[in-house]
Amino acid sequence: MIDVAGLRVVFPPAVAAVDGVDLAVAPGEFVVILGRSGSGKTTLLRALNRLVEPTAGSVRVAGRAVTGAGAAELRAARRQIGVIFQQFNLVRRASVLDNVLAGRLGYVPSLPSLLGRFPPADRALARECLGRVGLAHLAERRADTLSGGEQQRVAIARALAQAPAVVLADEPTASLDPALTTDIMGILRSINARGLTLVVSQHQLETALAYATRIVGLRRGRVTFDGPPASVTPAVVDAIYGEPR
Amino acid sequence: MRQAAAFVALVVLGWTVWDTGADPVRLAHGLPWIADFVRRMLPPDLAVLPATLLGAVKTVEIALLGTAVAAALALPLGFVSARNVAPPAVFYPARTVLNLFRSVDTLVYALIFVAAVGLGPFPGVLAVVAYTTTSLAKLYSEAIEGIEPGPVDAITATGASRLQVLRYGVLPQVLPLFLSYVLYRLETNIRAATVLGFVGAGGIGFYLQTYLRMIDYPAASTALLVTVVMVMVIDGLSSKLRAQLV
Repeated sequence: MIDVAGLRVVFPPAVAAVDGVDLAVAPGEFVVILGRSGSGKTTLLRALNRLVEPTAGSVRVAGRAVTGAGAAELRAARRQIGVIFQQFNLVRRASVLDNVLAGRLGYVPSLPSLLGRFPPADRALARECLGRVGLAHLAERRADTLSGGEQQRVAIARALAQAPAVVLADEPTASLDPALTTDIMGILRSINARGLTLVVSQHQLETALAYATRIVGLRRGRVTFDGPPASVTPAVVDAIYGEPR
Repeated sequence: MRQAAAFVALVVLGWTVWDTGADPVRLAHGLPWIADFVRRMLPPDLAVLPATLLGAVKTVEIALLGTAVAAALALPLGFVSARNVAPPAVFYPARTVLNLFRSVDTLVYALIFVAAVGLGPFPGVLAVVAYTTTSLAKLYSEAIEGIEPGPVDAITATGASRLQVLRYGVLPQVLPLFLSYVLYRLETNIRAATVLGFVGAGGIGFYLQTYLRMIDYPAASTALLVTVVMVMVIDGLSSKLRAQLV
């Protein structure tokens, strides 16, 4: 579903945030990228849909080349990759429903969408996705009037509205308290159970082990571990996090 | 370093006092003449009130139409002059052009347009458009440069086109600011438009200048009073609206 080969992202002047990552994710996996802050998790995820331009290497997602794609191909590749951000990244002044509808932008006709018009089928799908995260009753509210946990659920609904093959989530619970962490990770698990492939970055070991079907440890932009949660031993944890904890 | 800067500032200011002939004694000698001027303006001649009110309405019209047209024209200009939206090849020339046009005041544009299309409110409208378009474009572009990048990333990630990203990621963030800037510009344009009549570009300034030339000071004071009330009313309304926006 996701094929990454030799991926490098170097920020000027010479900081290799991602330093030669190979990764193959099969359909239906729930992969957690585990690592300390600054280990390159965010850059790796952002390189998967080229929000950050890779310096070298190749990325394919759901059969489409992401690296090397032209503008139109890249948009087509991006719309099948839902993304959930640590800071939710909703458009604050827009309504909840409009935020979810934004997930349809890659599909709907361009000119009407610029005038704020979406086909009825897309509106229906957006409402359905909002229902799947339990927020159908808040559709007309302004996004910034919602709590953090609710905003992240709206962001999940926006990703679902893309009808994606893959969902990437960058530290989706790092801005939330523990109770909401369980809430959001639970929703992600249920999405995964319906067949969506998930790649989620986490700096929290316990959360990672509780939800992942596969752990990928990242340290200084390199994969230091790749395997099932059951084989994450204390030695592996040290290798991922660096010094003993 | 700080002392040197203070010294230089003092020298420059001292020189300007000498060079402009600034002299408190001369001002003191002139005060009676100001009093005399004010005395001759009183009481205001209310017979010219209808005419000056019509002039005031025309001034408001000049400012309204000019600001509205400029608000729309400045939109594309604002986007091409924003560092985080426009590519460098577009951004740098656009910024330069904006700064060039902005360095000329509305009144100077009015002189040019009066020469081009003749006397009346129309050259006034053109002058307001010329100055306000570029000054709003500058304000717009700064608002665009100040947006949160997060929502833009999120909209980009959905597979949206560049225009869709601008429409859904950028515009909702900046629109309230844009409206607030437009209202602020409307306020300053009302003031600018009162002077436009002095160079033949219509509105209440035309009446004020005519009365002053005819040495009809009571009529001029009516025009002045109308101007003050008009500016205060518009400022009050506009700042109330702006307070609700941000």
